[in-house]
Amino acid sequence: MTVSLGKRFVAEAVGTFILVFFGAGAAVVTLMLAVGTGQATPFNIGIGALGGLGDWLAIGLAFGIAIAGAIYTFGRVSGCHINPAVTIALFATGRFPGRDVGPYIAAQLLGAAAASLLFAWAIGPDAVTIGGLGATAPFHGIGYLQAIAIEAIGTFLLMLVIMGAAVDERATPGFAGLVVGLVVAGIITTTGNLTGASLNPARTFGPYLGDWLLAGQNLWEFFPIYIVGPIIGAVAAAILYDNLCCGD
Amino acid sequence: MKCYYCALEGKESEAVAICIVCGMGLCMEHTIRKDVDVWEGGYPLPSRRVKAPLPRILCPECYAALYGK
Repeated sequence: MTVSLGKRFVAEAVGTFILVFFGAGAAVVTLMLAVGTGQATPFNIGIGALGGLGDWLAIGLAFGIAIAGAIYTFGRVSGCHINPAVTIALFATGRFPGRDVGPYIAAQLLGAAAASLLFAWAIGPDAVTIGGLGATAPFHGIGYLQAIAIEAIGTFLLMLVIMGAAVDERATPGFAGLVVGLVVAGIITTTGNLTGASLNPARTFGPYLGDWLLAGQNLWEFFPIYIVGPIIGAVAAAILYDNLCCGD
Repeated sequence: MKCYYCALEGKESEAVAICIVCGMGLCMEHTIRKDVDVWEGGYPLPSRRVKAPLPRILCPECYAALYGK
């Protein structure tokens, strides 16, 4: 017997809320801090203006620590996917029931949207006009397909670690949350200034919705990047791990 | 083995169980059975309660210490 779907729905929503509020929120605060420092190149939108790659490491750690906290809190309740790509990958490899996929994704999108809207309310208009609520988009010189590939590769690593550190029964117990959080921080440090390093359709959905509702900024043309890339990457990683590391 | 609690009361009765915490021998009258739910699994899948609970035999003293009753 598992926890009821209603309780798991709430856990997924709150977990994704934590991820977006603190993770995407860190990107907003970085952009607000960098205002007026000047733009050295079109490749530099402000994150990195003060601390170079250290800015991205800080944002990555904000995401990673929030994710680790959510995993240790809600991992036993809902599984704490807080990412539709992870939910779909677990479903695709037969580990998660199909009837729960829709409610889980709905909860994740709801939690992300609530986080972005509440963050905008708490910080004020600058969070939207300067910080863009931490929305992700391909950076200067990164094409649409390149962005999909980068998101897919980043999520591939994330899902591979989830498989190895958490799903595999031989994994050392208790470390999954910490390792998954640190891996997210590492991926964001490298790919943050390429695509925003979403790795998660819900994480992009929240800021996009907030920007659209509060400032009329329409970024939805980029949304398929953050749906297709993460799902391809996560499903590929789960299938690869099953074939490499399970069985004989 | 005799029941420790009965021995304290000056009675003598055979022990039918042993407290899992302190190892005290207990007769039926002084045995407390506490069934504990067992959960398996967890991140990234919801944990699942195993159908049959795990039986634990406790003496009254250890039961009070563990559960405050």
